[in-house]
Amino acid sequence: MNWGMTMTDDKDNLDLLFAQARQDRQDLPDDLAVRILTDAEAVRLARLNPKPAKAAPPWRRILTGLGGWQGMSGLAAASVAGVWIGFSAPGFLPDPATILYPQETSFVVADLSLDTSFLEDAE
Amino acid sequence: MEDLTSAPHDVRGAPCVADELGDDALLQQFADGDAAAARVLTDRLAPRSLSVALRFLGNRAEAEDVTQEAMMRLWQMAPDWAPGQAKVSTWLYRVTLNLCVDLRRKKTPDRLADVPEPEDEEASATDRLQDAARKDALQMALSQLPDRQRQAVVLRHIEELPNPEIAGIMGISVEAVESLTARGKRSLTAILAGRRDELGYDDD
Repeated sequence: MNWGMTMTDDKDNLDLLFAQARQDRQDLPDDLAVRILTDAEAVRLARLNPKPAKAAPPWRRILTGLGGWQGMSGLAAASVAGVWIGFSAPGFLPDPATILYPQETSFVVADLSLDTSFLEDAE
Repeated sequence: MEDLTSAPHDVRGAPCVADELGDDALLQQFADGDAAAARVLTDRLAPRSLSVALRFLGNRAEAEDVTQEAMMRLWQMAPDWAPGQAKVSTWLYRVTLNLCVDLRRKKTPDRLADVPEPEDEEASATDRLQDAARKDALQMALSQLPDRQRQAVVLRHIEELPNPEIAGIMGISVEAVESLTARGKRSLTAILAGRRDELGYDDD
């Protein structure tokens, strides 16, 4: 066997294979082109029309409407004050019950809320 | 709104002004919202990505997935592209090859059976190699090269890129590219010579 000749043949063979490979380069298949352009279109549209931020959950929207965490702390303080005033109205404030229901109505309210003797009778 | 995806024949539009622009300018136009620029860039760049991926992976479905992903990254990076710092094609080749290497690393043992691998059991591998080699002797030989040699050889001898560009793609010196391609070619020659007798090409 002529080894030198064989080596040359092998190199020529390799060069032929490279040349063949270069010729075999195919066009982009249509379906792949469509896939790529679909991606491009999605990216392009997303850039042109950025989506609004994801809708916040209901509790957060209510919180925001009330002024956020700061508003909430103010609201909590006002609520506590309101409850406290309800229990123990300072003397300078008028009693709302006497404004809304002067005289006899206020007795009814007082009776309903304070008189529990009927419960004792029932027992 | 222009629909780019309605039918294949619409994908390849008629030649337009964009055809004469450089890749840099087209990428900028795409970033600015020009759909036609994407079409020209796809026609121009995606076949190169596919060719390299196909030669590296030896599997068409995987190569097409890699090309789609590489192009997706191109669309996404378009607004951040700094013109003149590198060629867009260089960037795309690099992304393509990185995706190929990642894919190869992630391959499960089952999928390894799809391509001939030299480290397979000798008996079954011989059958598979013969079959693969008869279909594409070069692909069979390429699949046996180390990754870096294979990349350099494909870029140099199939894509016909100049060595400085290959150096840019692979992030190595021109000398290293020359060394890799030379070693790669020697290995390919030896592999093909070794297979020639086994495959009975001399009898043809």
